[in-house]
Amino acid sequence: MTTSTPHGELATLIAAVQGACTGEALLEATEALSAKADPGSLGCLMEILTFNNPGAAVAAVEGLIKIGKPAVAPLLANLDQYNYGARAWAVRVLAGIGDVRGLAVLEQALAEDVVPSVRRAAARGLGQLVLDGLGPEEREEATLRCFTSLEKGQSDGEWIVRYAVAAGLEQLAPALLSHPDVVTQLITNLRSLANEASEPVVVVRLRADLALRRLNDQRLDRSISTPELSA
Amino acid sequence: MERQANSELIGSPISEDEALRRLGLTDDASSRYYAAWWLGRHRSDDPRTITLLLEALRQRSVHNPDQDLDATAVARNAARALGKLGQAAHQAIPDLLRALDDDDPGLREAAARALGNLGAREAVEPLARRLKGGPAGPGRAQQGSARLVEPCEALLEALGELGVANSEVLEVITPFLDHERPVVSNAAARALLQLTGQPCWGERLVAMLRHPQLQVRRSALLDIGACGWLPALGPICATLAENSLKLIALRGLAEAAPSPGSAEAVLTAMDDLL
Repeated sequence: MTTSTPHGELATLIAAVQGACTGEALLEATEALSAKADPGSLGCLMEILTFNNPGAAVAAVEGLIKIGKPAVAPLLANLDQYNYGARAWAVRVLAGIGDVRGLAVLEQALAEDVVPSVRRAAARGLGQLVLDGLGPEEREEATLRCFTSLEKGQSDGEWIVRYAVAAGLEQLAPALLSHPDVVTQLITNLRSLANEASEPVVVVRLRADLALRRLNDQRLDRSISTPELSA
Repeated sequence: MERQANSELIGSPISEDEALRRLGLTDDASSRYYAAWWLGRHRSDDPRTITLLLEALRQRSVHNPDQDLDATAVARNAARALGKLGQAAHQAIPDLLRALDDDDPGLREAAARALGNLGAREAVEPLARRLKGGPAGPGRAQQGSARLVEPCEALLEALGELGVANSEVLEVITPFLDHERPVVSNAAARALLQLTGQPCWGERLVAMLRHPQLQVRRSALLDIGACGWLPALGPICATLAENSLKLIALRGLAEAAPSPGSAEAVLTAMDDLL
């Protein structure tokens, strides 16, 4: 291992993907390439998203998420040329990386995508955007946009999307501490998802209830007026 | 016919009134097919819904060569929809029991599942009767068709769901453990796990999560989810299959979990798959 240069090794891994003749070989080659998380593999990994091979696509998504920020701009640039399936995978990558440049894509995916698993991934992503590098105003704007988007997703027809919304709202809550009124609204939304009268699916209620209990433990209620947070 | 109608579903939102209007269009099978699906999907509680679905289920007997396939497809969807409508649909149980004897195996399948969903215990005896004879009888492959003589998977699943664990039922189910099709033997293990709670049936399903065929792993995931068998948590996460299916299986585990603590472990695993 010590004798091979990274570039030589990367070239070999990419060649293995390009030369794969079976789905299984492609999966193995993609996993090996993804494990490197090398920005030099971006083009190859992005191409795998278009192959209609779900196993390989999952591996490529993992690799792209590990590469992180350097993958965001190329993905956004390619989004419009992607076929439907590839677009769905790209949304998952953007959700996983959590870069604020993907925010508009995630908002649109949660609101409009016809495939539940894409809306699910988008909701998850909207709860976990990484906003550390932003100024206070930009951060606040982005957080509020995430909240608004998740709030709309709460009425999605698919249980797994509402589940992801509950998880997303929980993750988003700490970033909203400077807006007690919004936290109050967020708690109201979670309560609605935890309530049998408004949410028919048991597991969604369980998840919303867990979110409420955890937020209560974090004492997020100190900043808001409702005392019975976990009720 | 069925496939075509399904592809039309995406992106065509309609109201409950519109669905009911379409279900009443007796000469337009494809509109009725969609309407029946819609009303089940949206758990319609309009007083007209059950009546119209029952008509659609019964009009199966209309003999018009041009319409016959469509009428059958509509009846199947009506049966599926009735299965989703809970208490209000209990008045449909006699018709669904009759559909269990229909010539069309697809309608028998839909009726069996609906009866299981509705918790219709009066269906246990006729369901078990249909399965008598095991893999060599109702479980025999039909020539020139992917279907077995009976829709065994659906019949077995319905028996498991209905929860009547008498010796006659168990005797009828057990031979299907040896069925050559893994999805059918999985269905037998699933029913036995639901009826007896014995861990050996759960372990058998968990072993199927390592089956080389994706289709078999998928069926095992859904079977384990339906049983809510908590020891499968780790193996479900580790199996090679789509996250969407793993999430459905884990939903079953979380909803059956006996304590908030054990449910939380499942929810944490689900969060990782979103």
